[in-house]
Amino acid sequence: MAEKTYKCLNPVGIHTPVGLSPLAPRLNKLDGKTIFVSIGAGGEQDITIPLPKKLQEKYPQVNWIIQGAGPHLTKAGSISLTDEQVESGEIDALIRGVIW
Amino acid sequence: MPHLATIEKRGIPSVFIIYEDQDECFEQACRLNGIPHLRRVNCSRTIPGPEDVDRWIDDLMDALVRPLTAEETAGGRWEEPDERILFEGTLEEANEFYQQTMIVPTLQNAPFAIYTDGMPIVIPTEERVAKMLKGTSHPADEIIRYQSDHKLGDRINQMGSSGIKGEPVYYMPMRRMATVEKVATIGVMAGCKPEHMPILLTMAESGGGCSDGRGGGSFCISGPIAKEVGMNFDVNVLGPGNPSNRCLGRATDLMWRNFGQQIPSVNNCGVFGGGITNVFPENADALPPGWKGLNEEYDFNKDESIMIPAGAGGGGTHFSPGGYRAFQKSGHGGIARRLGVKGVSGPKNWLEYEVPGWWKCGEGGISIIMLPEMAQHLYEAGFKSKDDVYEWIYNQSFMTVREYRTHSWPDMRTNAWKGIERTSGKRWLELDEDYMVPACEDPYSNLIIVTGAGEEMALIGGGRMAGMDAAWYIDPWR
Repeated sequence: MAEKTYKCLNPVGIHTPVGLSPLAPRLNKLDGKTIFVSIGAGGEQDITIPLPKKLQEKYPQVNWIIQGAGPHLTKAGSISLTDEQVESGEIDALIRGVIW
Repeated sequence: MPHLATIEKRGIPSVFIIYEDQDECFEQACRLNGIPHLRRVNCSRTIPGPEDVDRWIDDLMDALVRPLTAEETAGGRWEEPDERILFEGTLEEANEFYQQTMIVPTLQNAPFAIYTDGMPIVIPTEERVAKMLKGTSHPADEIIRYQSDHKLGDRINQMGSSGIKGEPVYYMPMRRMATVEKVATIGVMAGCKPEHMPILLTMAESGGGCSDGRGGGSFCISGPIAKEVGMNFDVNVLGPGNPSNRCLGRATDLMWRNFGQQIPSVNNCGVFGGGITNVFPENADALPPGWKGLNEEYDFNKDESIMIPAGAGGGGTHFSPGGYRAFQKSGHGGIARRLGVKGVSGPKNWLEYEVPGWWKCGEGGISIIMLPEMAQHLYEAGFKSKDDVYEWIYNQSFMTVREYRTHSWPDMRTNAWKGIERTSGKRWLELDEDYMVPACEDPYSNLIIVTGAGEEMALIGGGRMAGMDAAWYIDPWR
């Protein structure tokens, strides 16, 4: 006699479809561009201190906005770039360190 | 990541600095947030900052100007079907199917269970799941949604779960959803019974033990349902043997794996993971007079059942049970000598012995899982309510700014000391070094759970998260 078979249910969570977007167009040059740097201040001081210094020394043609914000301390979520700054067009690019 | 992804989607090119060992997790998060090819450079965990920056600073800048590849300019849609029936066959075949593992290269090729917590499960046949569903009045196809409003904290909100009544619960790290039937399926797999369904559904409403994707820890049940389902309140409250305590705990790990789809080093950037997850009950019947149960602490009635996240992590008390008894009975032994009550009989505040070590290195509230006998001693020593104890602990947490600045986490949490200190309203860097600051957010960041029995000891761990609404109401899921 054939052994009884069973239908067994699926415990895997339901995936929500995700629309996939291309990357934003890159900058055609660095000269005169405004680049926002956001790294969790205080957490990884070994990087947060030398990186802004070296960026400004090595790329003086860039208009740097250096922002330190503790991860998860800002409403925007570990970055202190506001919606207004994004919409205004004053920021050309973003450098972000996901650092504790 | 959700916010960061929107910046790139809005046309601002970006580049990220992350650790190489978290690259896979970063890629998964990018894909989940709809921008799968975000550019990044890898920094080092060990090379000193100035030297490390020199290694990749040019790559960092190049990532902002280097032309996009065809892959980076492609769009698309990521969809995965949800099949209700996962497998059909004999029980023996099903056992093999559900016990499948996969090889995860970033786990040094260690096998990792695809559907389980690594241990054998009860096979979730359609018949068993149907029986489990009799433990709730909710329909099988109902999506798990918040039954009331909850403050989940910024981090969970940012990752997609709102905590707003009626909105779906998303399970991290892969932000998936679940139905009542899927919760029943997990319950069967964990060895639960139909009477556990209201608790299982509440655990699912709270995020299924997934937290932000790195796992959640344990839960404490307060209210009559704990006795209804036969939970152990006594000796070994966190140990093996009691089906309710252990099976419910196991269910959270199965939710994390299946609902959240967590795979360590692939989409879960945790560190050690947790031990076996526990679900354990408060023993409200054994509370001293005037001390509220957890349900009443959260403004529920005594006859209402709730669940709160509560772990036993951290450590335990540092005295011997015999030394504790000698201290309480007649003022003998090391504790009495340290606290200057040698020869003084009668109940005393035993927390004074433990408190000096609590904020030597850390900050935040303290949770204490204590035996009824030890709660009674605190009551007799003058603490007529839990609130009195919470206030006392909070007051003990004050230290000078000088000392606080030798702690590690506040470097980040104070925004490198540029932020505002809460009690003074002044910037941290403007404060006198002798100014006293609390290490606890507020008295209610502390938590006391009275449960268990046996030799005199208590478990000490991290307290409640300030600003979070941690109580989950079980009864609506009955």
